[in-house]
Amino acid sequence: MPVFKTPFNGYSVKFSPFYESRLAVATAQNFGILGNGRVHILDLPPTPSSPFVELASFDTADGVYDVAWSESHDSLLVAAVADGSLKIYDLSLPPTSNPIRSLHEHSREVQSVDYNPVRRDSFISSSWDDSIKLWTLDRPTSIRSFQEHAYCVYAAVWNPRHADVFASASGDCTLRVWDVREPGSTMVVAAHEFEILSCDWNKYDDCVIATASVDKSVRVWDIRTYRTPLAVLNGHGYAVRKVKFSPHNRSFLMSCSYDMTVCAWDYMVEDARIGQYGHHTEFAVGVDMSVLVEGLIASTGWDELVYVWQYGTDPRAP
Amino acid sequence: MDMRDLVTGGAACAVPGSSSSSSNPLAALANTLIGSSSKIQENKEIPTSITPSSERQIYTETNDHLGGLDQPFVDPNAPQHSDFLRGFHGSGGGGGQTELDAAWNDIHHPPPQLDHISDTHPHPQQPILDGPPQRMLSSLLHSFVDSSRGGVPFRATPLPVLGLSEGDKQCIRDRSSIMARHIFADKSEDFINSQVNALLCSLDIDGDARAKGPLPGRFRELEDYWNESQGTLKPGFHAADGWVAEYNQQRMVHGANGWASEFEQQHGANGWASEFEQAMNCFAFKPSTYSQLTSVDQMRGSNISSLAAMEQTRMLANTLAQNDDPKFQNSKFLQFVSKMSRGELIIDDNQVKQTALPAAGDWASEYQHQYNRSPAWADEFLSHGPDQWVNEFTTEQEQHGPVDDQWVNEFSKLHVHDWADEFGRQVGEGALGENSTDNWANAYDEFLNEQVTARQRSDTSRGVYVFSDMNPYVGHPNPLKEGQELFRKGLLSEAVLALEAEVLKNPDNAEGWRLLGIAHAENDDDQQAIAAMLRAQEADSTNLEVLLALGVSHTNELEQAAALKYLYGWLRHHPKYGTLAPPELSDSLYYADVARLFNEAAQMSPDDADVHIVLGVLYNLTREYDKAIESFQTALKLKPHDYSLWNKLGATQANSVHSADAIFAYQQALDLKPNYVRAWANMGISYANQGMYEDSIRYYVRALAMNPKADNAWQYLRISLSCASRDDMLEACDSRNLDVLQKEFPL
Repeated sequence: MPVFKTPFNGYSVKFSPFYESRLAVATAQNFGILGNGRVHILDLPPTPSSPFVELASFDTADGVYDVAWSESHDSLLVAAVADGSLKIYDLSLPPTSNPIRSLHEHSREVQSVDYNPVRRDSFISSSWDDSIKLWTLDRPTSIRSFQEHAYCVYAAVWNPRHADVFASASGDCTLRVWDVREPGSTMVVAAHEFEILSCDWNKYDDCVIATASVDKSVRVWDIRTYRTPLAVLNGHGYAVRKVKFSPHNRSFLMSCSYDMTVCAWDYMVEDARIGQYGHHTEFAVGVDMSVLVEGLIASTGWDELVYVWQYGTDPRAP
Repeated sequence: MDMRDLVTGGAACAVPGSSSSSSNPLAALANTLIGSSSKIQENKEIPTSITPSSERQIYTETNDHLGGLDQPFVDPNAPQHSDFLRGFHGSGGGGGQTELDAAWNDIHHPPPQLDHISDTHPHPQQPILDGPPQRMLSSLLHSFVDSSRGGVPFRATPLPVLGLSEGDKQCIRDRSSIMARHIFADKSEDFINSQVNALLCSLDIDGDARAKGPLPGRFRELEDYWNESQGTLKPGFHAADGWVAEYNQQRMVHGANGWASEFEQQHGANGWASEFEQAMNCFAFKPSTYSQLTSVDQMRGSNISSLAAMEQTRMLANTLAQNDDPKFQNSKFLQFVSKMSRGELIIDDNQVKQTALPAAGDWASEYQHQYNRSPAWADEFLSHGPDQWVNEFTTEQEQHGPVDDQWVNEFSKLHVHDWADEFGRQVGEGALGENSTDNWANAYDEFLNEQVTARQRSDTSRGVYVFSDMNPYVGHPNPLKEGQELFRKGLLSEAVLALEAEVLKNPDNAEGWRLLGIAHAENDDDQQAIAAMLRAQEADSTNLEVLLALGVSHTNELEQAAALKYLYGWLRHHPKYGTLAPPELSDSLYYADVARLFNEAAQMSPDDADVHIVLGVLYNLTREYDKAIESFQTALKLKPHDYSLWNKLGATQANSVHSADAIFAYQQALDLKPNYVRAWANMGISYANQGMYEDSIRYYVRALAMNPKADNAWQYLRISLSCASRDDMLEACDSRNLDVLQKEFPL
């Protein structure tokens, strides 16, 4: 499969929910420590041997840490920018008209953004200012701010079944589950002893959620029995940066880590780690699985490369 | 004079307060990395690869789904919504459930039509991209990283100055702190702190309380003590790993809890914090002082001083070395962090520092003095009791000038006693191990040695011309003529020697000094160029070429005030424009005034290429590259055969990320002067900027074939070889084997 070289360090990659060959990549200069950012919109080539087609790219004044496709409009995407802003881009408009929105409420770096897959009208952002904010496309200000975490919130993701429920992972070592209709969080899980960098809901069981931590482990939780994890997935050598449940398989998940590898897991089997990919040469920080094409995986890292491959094949295979 | 190209590499001009002849190559690299900053403008003009027709089609289809779902944009100020929104916002902390429900349901309607959104915000402001400081930073980061490959040490002598804004520093501070906690998760909190602080120290960034604190409590032992002494601070996640971290965090506090804010209440918000900040600016690079501030950390094996942190970094290096995975050995990020932490990147003479220091000129010697006496201090430190230490601390602080006095006194009044007690307790517990002290002292020595070269450098920066040791041209019958000849041939380093012989023989020969200055400038050494030009000016204070050259060299070094002074001097001594320049203005020069005067001069005689050249230089000073390019282009219409002018144009274009245009300009310069080494190297830089490393290598090799002593070009070459994955040729590069390189990379 082809490889795409980004000028900046990769931070996040997301498949479009509308086009099976399309993906967005968030990048930041200087490892995201200081500098500009860029969002790339890529199309997979018709044949694996040809290069990616870059449909568009959008520059930002600060690093882009995450990106989320709109679930309602095929051309819209939201970028989480390190300067605390969220930028909304419309691919169908010329670059001069983009971004169509810049939402600046977070006082610190925005680390994640996630589009509501059920209601499809709203998205949440999580930030180093310890807060999570709820937004809709049509409002210039956030609907609500969720402020309970005591440290950076590295991820906030919607539940795939319940339109009002989301979970957040924070450096305060807790995972929190929220219902937008409730004033406060509905559940606090002290999921790790160390910072939690990522979380994702199981797409088949709406009570199962995975967390990834600086403690190098991925843990899978049933929030009904949250005192002990369903599974502890060890195998990464450094902090686990992102975790993602498969949209096609109930027990399959992917993770990427500061150990520069991307791992595939089946949390229901004993030897949970079923694959390890060492194709990145710097920290692997972004991984995604296509909803539209089963087994299609994308990853990016600080080596400024974006890989897309079919599960079971070598990402580096031509 | 043939001013040395504005920017040998590119971004040098871009950074305020940068002294960077030697970092220029690095700066150039940055353009590639930061390309976006000005490309954004281009992007707007150039259609992207989306073909509007097909894309529009898809889009329209999508809109069809949404037909009739149009919904007015919610104006937060509209009365019917404002109440609602307020209620919503207010409810976060426990507002009415029903309100929330209502609000959430309220927004639950079909998505608005996109056109509508766009109409409401027809052309949102594109963010202004910060160019220059980032440019320099990334050049540093990456050149650092690149130069670290293969074990060739990053040259310690060049001490580039980053014009980092407070915001930038904040970013680096915060982000590196947070990231370090992810990356060095295995290490102790102390280690992480020292890593981060060493990095910050290297970049001349103060630690800051606004940075996110360390992880939730892993070290509690001092926290109780702290709370006890404060009675105010609640243990919480931010309360972090105890007293020391708390202290570190708090010392720059802006509105945090604890004693700093108490102090603020007593003394006004700007009292302590700003004084401290000033003090820190002064002392960030006086590690002995700095260490004293943080000696409690020292005792725990963690410390903020760059020196002790270097020891920690060696530990990191060892840890990394133990990791067999070659990927880790090659990780640019880890190399970067490690290199930075090792203090190999030192930001010297930052503008901020200059203003904070009573006498910037004395700084270097004072600095050295600090280093010399530091190991002694370490011993004293151990043998004396805490009280004495506090006194010593206070006295030593006082020696450093008025800025600190107040702070020290206030600080002493405040909590020094608690601190000293704590300190004593730590000593009693033997927390200060033998090893850590020894290592620490060693680190000092090592650092000291590294500074010797740095000191030499700073001598030059003070305008003292440094002669070469062995000069075969001494005793030459006519070194000036020889020097001119060599210069014409492009053998700059040789020309420098011959001209040095000339000015040794005739110290008042303005022409000798001037040409020497030019040779240095073309040889990419602006410090020496300035020193030589200053001598030329001494010999002939109204020489227009010399004044212009000094203006350009200072522009290259981003010393705006000095550059303005000479450019203004040029105007004042010019027979035609002298009347424009009122002499009283020279006491307080502002950029705007000088620029205005030159614009007047340009209007007065639009056909004088020199005026346009100076304007171009001035615009470079403020990084108005488009205007600078325009000025140079105007000048070129009048003086199409001035090769150095073409080079200036190219350098400016490269600076503004028009590397492709720059290549054309350099080509013009080379057509006019085929042995113009500088332009060959610049050409290479421009290719490298565009990611065409193979091409850049050929140009560097060509430049080096003409002047093998162009040290910077060797560095650029090395970087390009790494980037082009031609590690096989690195050895040839390191051994400076031009035969091999020329064979491999013919132009």
